[in-house]
Amino acid sequence: MGSLTRKKTLAVMALSAMIGLLLLPIVVSVPALASGGGAPAGGPPPDVVKKEGGEGDKDKKVEKARDVYYKTEGIVSGLPAPKTGDNAKDYPRYNFESRVLLWFANQQHLYYGSFVLAVPIFCMVIEFMGVMTKDKAMAKKYDQLAYDFIKISLTAYSLTAILGGILIFTFLTLYPAFFGYLSSIFRPVMHIYALMFVAESGTLYIYYYGWDKMKEGFLKWIHLSMSVILNVIGTVLMFLANSWIGFMMSPAGVDEQGRFLGNIWHVIHTALWNPLNVHRILGNMAFGGGVVAAYAAYRFLSSKTDEERAHYDWMGYIAMSLGVAFLIPLPFAGYWLMREVYAYRQQMGITLMGGLLAWLFIIQATMIGILFLSTNYYLWQALGRMRGAERFQRWIKYFVFLLVCGFLVFITPHTMVMTPAELKAMGGQQHPVLGNYGVMSAKNGGINVIITTTVLTFIWYQRGNRVPSVSWSKFGNIFMGVFFFFAYVNIIWLAIYGYFIPANVRVGLSVPQVATTLSCLFFMTALNLSMLKGAKQIGPIEWGKISVRSQYALIMLATAFTWMMGLMGYIRSSVRLFWHVNEIMRDNSPWAYTHTVGFAANMISFNVLFFWISIMFVFWLGTLAAKKAPVEAKAPVPGQAPQPAVGH
Amino acid sequence: MVELIQAALDMGWPILAFLVCLLVYFQVSISDPAKKKQATFKTFIGMIAAFMLLMAIANYKINFFANSRLLPVSLAMITALAFMMGIYFTNIGALFKIGGFMFLVAAGLSGYGNWLPQVEGGFPPAEVKLDFGSMSAQQLADEGEKIIFGGIGQSKVQGAIGKGQCPLCHGFNEGFLSERAPNLWGVPDRAKTRLDDPRYHKGKPGDRDTEQKEAFPGSGTAETGQEYIAESHSCPSCFVVAGFGVKGTNDKQSPMPAIHKPPISLSLGELAAVDTWMYVREGKEAPSFEEITKAYEKFIPEADRPKQTEDKPGAAGGGGVLATGEEPVDQIFQKATCVACHTIPGIAGAVGTIGPKLVEGTNAPTRIKDPAYKGTAKSTREYITESVINPSAFVVKGFPDNTMPKEFGKKLSAGALNKIVDYLSQLQEGKEPPKIS
Repeated sequence: MGSLTRKKTLAVMALSAMIGLLLLPIVVSVPALASGGGAPAGGPPPDVVKKEGGEGDKDKKVEKARDVYYKTEGIVSGLPAPKTGDNAKDYPRYNFESRVLLWFANQQHLYYGSFVLAVPIFCMVIEFMGVMTKDKAMAKKYDQLAYDFIKISLTAYSLTAILGGILIFTFLTLYPAFFGYLSSIFRPVMHIYALMFVAESGTLYIYYYGWDKMKEGFLKWIHLSMSVILNVIGTVLMFLANSWIGFMMSPAGVDEQGRFLGNIWHVIHTALWNPLNVHRILGNMAFGGGVVAAYAAYRFLSSKTDEERAHYDWMGYIAMSLGVAFLIPLPFAGYWLMREVYAYRQQMGITLMGGLLAWLFIIQATMIGILFLSTNYYLWQALGRMRGAERFQRWIKYFVFLLVCGFLVFITPHTMVMTPAELKAMGGQQHPVLGNYGVMSAKNGGINVIITTTVLTFIWYQRGNRVPSVSWSKFGNIFMGVFFFFAYVNIIWLAIYGYFIPANVRVGLSVPQVATTLSCLFFMTALNLSMLKGAKQIGPIEWGKISVRSQYALIMLATAFTWMMGLMGYIRSSVRLFWHVNEIMRDNSPWAYTHTVGFAANMISFNVLFFWISIMFVFWLGTLAAKKAPVEAKAPVPGQAPQPAVGH
Repeated sequence: MVELIQAALDMGWPILAFLVCLLVYFQVSISDPAKKKQATFKTFIGMIAAFMLLMAIANYKINFFANSRLLPVSLAMITALAFMMGIYFTNIGALFKIGGFMFLVAAGLSGYGNWLPQVEGGFPPAEVKLDFGSMSAQQLADEGEKIIFGGIGQSKVQGAIGKGQCPLCHGFNEGFLSERAPNLWGVPDRAKTRLDDPRYHKGKPGDRDTEQKEAFPGSGTAETGQEYIAESHSCPSCFVVAGFGVKGTNDKQSPMPAIHKPPISLSLGELAAVDTWMYVREGKEAPSFEEITKAYEKFIPEADRPKQTEDKPGAAGGGGVLATGEEPVDQIFQKATCVACHTIPGIAGAVGTIGPKLVEGTNAPTRIKDPAYKGTAKSTREYITESVINPSAFVVKGFPDNTMPKEFGKKLSAGALNKIVDYLSQLQEGKEPPKIS
């Protein structure tokens, strides 16, 4: 006992020391942050220095200016944003569009960055599930799965760092004036970012290489705690990077000339920072789920044995469930982001949703539809691996009907920018047949119907091979049926009601619509789970006995998600139009115009395919490294569906 | 298509040559007829696949910056290629099939993006220094209409929008629905009545419940209708018309930006033009230029007044651009005066004979191969771009060098040049010119 206690104490001390070391850079930099980043960004402007240094001028004069966003007064501590011109000094170039090169470098870095930030979150969740589950075989399976995940991300991690380097060099060589300004404002943040990256790498390596050494007892908990630390560092890293793009879209902490006013927190905490953070966390998770699901699909399709197929079928299911669990709240986070965009600058919101970039949002709506349709399709196919689930097959056509109706309403546009010829051809701003369709409440109705139906599909899936045996199951079923029925009625009724009320009132309808969907998601899945406790099994789950088509649905999900991420990133970035930093630093390069939808689509496809080709290579490398059957693959495949750790 | 095949062959002939050699080698080295047949067939399929890949890459290379809606076809070709390879390389067949499927999905999405109406956001309009002070009321009103709607007469065109961006939120015609911001029809008369609104607190800005009480400390409130208009432009949050405030602020804050500040940054002269148009279009007598600017000076301190020539886009490039790229291509040819010297099929009035006829779809490929060619272009598009920017790279026989100005590279925006190149590259001798979009 004594030695165990000593071991525990040592482990806790080691963990504390590690946390301390990791947090040291932040602690050290706090005084610098508190004083506005140490020496002011870019040094004080010459005129201020002159005033301060002037002989005989006893009262030190400092220039004060007003924050463009916070409206507070601050001491001018930086140079104005440079006024660039279309010349080789401000915009050095190759015989190619610099913006496209930067777009490529940025997007690849972001894809890999998102992946390596999302995977540790999965690992944490799956490792935790492994620790908590009482079934030892399952615990080992979960543990192996978490290990497989982190192994994939480790190769991708070095690629992320390389791509980050390429991105910085691209900025420095092609946009030196802009990057110089940005780094002068964010200098302390950039240093913390770099230090956090070092901390992230260190933790990741200890976490990965210490897996076997820390697989038992108390040390396992220490190992699990390290995954929490890893994710905290990863999240802070992402938040810091988000602050740069937040600043570019909705600058704060500077005056109208772009001069830093000494408060670094204002620069970080811009109007759009928080919604961007939330949106990106959820997006990364859904994206990470998609990538791992695609990996599992690849391994499934190239499997030679039933055991391998069973393992990768299960892995694909878990990854897909985790990804979709984060995909479901994503539209709501996106909605919040858009609200904040409108609140920050109405014109920016209109450029996005009803102006120059509106067609891209139509593509986005289509993509969301594709994602949910693919998810539902996968789950319907997955019913095929459960004996006893045949009884649900006949309902699928009704789900298809609901999903298609919701999808069609969701992609119907309301306000589009049109040329006079198009207006003339259409006979006005509204379509002669569709009329005034496509208002926001109707579109919200469409997406909420899609999400609610997906929840229903998932509940069906959970019941695939089981029949509730609790005494109140009849009442529970009726309650659930009534709940869903009224949920649909409420969502659809509000969608229609929106046509009869003014736009500013209509906006408010989204709240009850979303609340209805979320109620279905949380209450009904919880109710279903409690009804399934001790449920009667009417057949086994035959892992690996799923159609090949289902795996292509996973690949579709992954590709579509990658494409949508590229699309939304492009929209977010191009909404600044001809500004490097919105309203502060103008883009005077020869590429200050916005590309056509077609060009953007081609470029996004190029980025998506480049990412997938490269990550396929990473997957392939992974298979070279471990040419062995998955651990525990020989153990009997559990007959019970593992519960995805998504709160239902 | 011929150009595409040629580019594919130029780029990938060593690969094809290698495959041909391989084919010959198999014929010589394999004695078993069945195996020979199989090897021949596989190599033949490989040649087709390689050619498709080269075509796909050539299509990207040539049309990457063009508005070619057929670009996603390249992805579909690679899809076919991947599936073909998946059959032959069974070891990594799954990778090929998955890759092919991904290419197919990307081709579909790309195709969708290319199928939708193509809208290109042009460069921010070039600022031209105008002497607003010496204009008549009608001239001022015309300039105002340009600022609001982008051109004279555009106020009647739905969706027209100018530098001021006002129609994004405001309605301008009588009875039009204006949900985001008040309809501005009748503003000259209504402005005076706003002063009597109890929420306005004329003369007592401190009593206002709005987020911002005054445009700047000591500016006070408006005393006349014109001052009210000036105040609402320069300090939209000083008084918010009921129901049009930022949601959740109870009309204490306006969503409208101050018009003299970025991103819109109208100068006092431009603001006077905008206001004058609002009076003139209703048949009302507008205040004088001096009266309007004086009203604005009350609410915009000297330091905040944007200078008209400041931040001129492309200023460092040496003067304003001739065409921004927002115009249809025929207008770009007119504005850049190409029509004066060149004959350009499909462009009205382009019958000049000082320079050669611009059927570049036919001319460019042969000129690139001409021994007298000194440029670096490899494709038709590159050749056209080069001949606009550097006309001396190839001088067509019978036309003297140094006649065409060499400054078009600076005088045309990238968007405008792109459109010119797009159009000219499609012109072929003896064929119908493309439609102008």
